[in-house]
Amino acid sequence: MSDKLEYSIQENQGKVEVSLSGYLDATNAGDLLEELKQLSDKEIEEIKFLVSELEYIASAGVRVIIFAKQKIGRDVSVTLVSPQEEVVDVIKMSGLDGFLNIED
Amino acid sequence: MPKLKVPAVKKNLDKMIDFVTDGLNELDIKEKDKYISKIRLACEEALVNIISYAYEEEIGQVEIAYSYNEANNEFKIELTDAGTAFNPLEKPDPDTSLPLEEREIGGLGIFMIKKIMDKVSYKREDGKNTLKMIKILNSEA
Repeated sequence: MSDKLEYSIQENQGKVEVSLSGYLDATNAGDLLEELKQLSDKEIEEIKFLVSELEYIASAGVRVIIFAKQKIGRDVSVTLVSPQEEVVDVIKMSGLDGFLNIED
Repeated sequence: MPKLKVPAVKKNLDKMIDFVTDGLNELDIKEKDKYISKIRLACEEALVNIISYAYEEEIGQVEIAYSYNEANNEFKIELTDAGTAFNPLEKPDPDTSLPLEEREIGGLGIFMIKKIMDKVSYKREDGKNTLKMIKILNSEA
């Protein structure tokens, strides 16, 4: 199931949109992390994860979001846009809900 | 009790998880999809732990077994490996009240297992680690 996650990353003048669809888990989170690391040396002010099509996230995926906050920039605003209930449950379980913006 | 024994490598992760979730999917219970998603997560976290830490140089095996007891609605999963003795339940829970900037990366997976499952236990016997996880299928998913 190597095609179980589809993602795209777009950066435009400090604003980043990461679209995710499918399953973000231990088998593919590393690839996404490598892609996001390339943003570390840019001036990023905002990252939006567009996750309406994301059906599942495991702790490996949660780590990618934590990475975005820790390494890309402390002042970067991180938002999850339109998460499904399962994804929100995991975000809450991880205690991330108070530190991220969640938009419908 | 259906069982699957495969090399504990990341390439087999989907096969291992699907083995359990396919079994769960065959049960006649309410809110099945919700349980499948949660149990998928608990299995992934436990199996990733075994894949990452149980064996050092050689590739070892992991055995996955599950069963469902209709009398008490318990869905039980047992994961057994013959790797280094390691009780994941002794790992301290991450401090989820810390701001993201100060979060430690480790320990989150085990913490999720404890949150999702109703009972989790570990035993070391005959040179093997067994992690037993039980979800009561009529409880809150």
